[in-house]
Amino acid sequence: MKCVAVTPEKTVVERETKFVVVPLYDGEYAIGVGHTPVVGRLGAGELRLTLDDDSVERWYVEGGFVEAANDVVSLLTTRACKFSELDLNEATQALNDALNRPATSPELREIKTKAVATARARVRAAEKAARR
Amino acid sequence: MELVATAQFRRAMERAVAAGAYSERIVRLVGDLARAGGDASHPLLDERESSKKAVLLILTANRGMCGGYNGGVLRTAVARLEELTRTFEEVELYVVGKRGFSYLTYRDYKIARSFFDFEDKPTFAEVDAIASELLERYQTGEIDRLDVVYSKFYSISKQRPSAETILPLTELAATDGDESAEDAPSESRLQFEFLPSPRSVLEEIVPTAFRAKTFKCFLDAAVGEQIARMVAMKAATENADEMISSLTTTYNRARQGQITNEILEVVGGANALS
Repeated sequence: MKCVAVTPEKTVVERETKFVVVPLYDGEYAIGVGHTPVVGRLGAGELRLTLDDDSVERWYVEGGFVEAANDVVSLLTTRACKFSELDLNEATQALNDALNRPATSPELREIKTKAVATARARVRAAEKAARR
Repeated sequence: MELVATAQFRRAMERAVAAGAYSERIVRLVGDLARAGGDASHPLLDERESSKKAVLLILTANRGMCGGYNGGVLRTAVARLEELTRTFEEVELYVVGKRGFSYLTYRDYKIARSFFDFEDKPTFAEVDAIASELLERYQTGEIDRLDVVYSKFYSISKQRPSAETILPLTELAATDGDESAEDAPSESRLQFEFLPSPRSVLEEIVPTAFRAKTFKCFLDAAVGEQIARMVAMKAATENADEMISSLTTTYNRARQGQITNEILEVVGGANALS
């Protein structure tokens, strides 16, 4: 099964995998060989790839979509980096920025909620990466 | 400079190609969505009735030496600006590139925001900051339309200044129809399961498509600039070579003429003495 992750800038991941766990908007979703065709909305979080030699590779992705069909899992995301490249300080800063956004109208509140949720997920991932 | 431009062009081109994969997949996903029967309505896709404020984003270069690149873009921009001022009460200008900034300030246009940090390789994060800001202002109803003027990339030998409306994103709604109408290969006729629902996926995909589109405009502009510079510098180099050879000929002729003159004088003098 092939897993491809693309950001607007480049193709970040393109490799053979056995098993893929993607962070959907409401929790993790696992995709194995022969999975039914699915399109899902991604949240921010950890993308886990189990490779052919049973080792696990961890990536952080932020929003976008996943499409699984014909044993190809493709992720479209605005941001993707290796788990180890996450910076906790930067993530915390992003969270503070998001929390300080104005929420004076329903539209602004919606934008803020989304920004905060994304930033929280990044902090969580960065903390997890730091613990490893 | 031609060599520098060529190297930068290669880099810019590689990035544009890499970004192509993303936009292509988005379009395909929108096609899948349309086939899944979800009706494609989204606040970002519909034309607004009010016409209070519009934003015109103009992408020019920071430096010259690239032939008609900046001129072409700015001419198109001014034409579009006049068109917008007729329909909208207020038009804000967002200008990228020093060239555009100086041209427009010289002509007394009011510029709301200007950006000079984009060179031959705009990153998504940088572009996204501008795109998000504009998207937010559009969503909150502060602006009713966003147009962009940039040099559109068709092929290595063809780029044209182009003015497009990117908010509302009518282009995406159009691809929708095309995609569902055309005979797609059987593999993409798969019945997808949508998580959580086609509507929710659509809600997310429209802003994503907008960001990708904006990024593509920046990349196209970067590639266009480098190509224009490459062509201009090639012409300049050839012209200089030609000038050097014609000047060398003129110089040699003049020198030879002088020598001949002197010899004639010496010979004339010797003849007179004998």
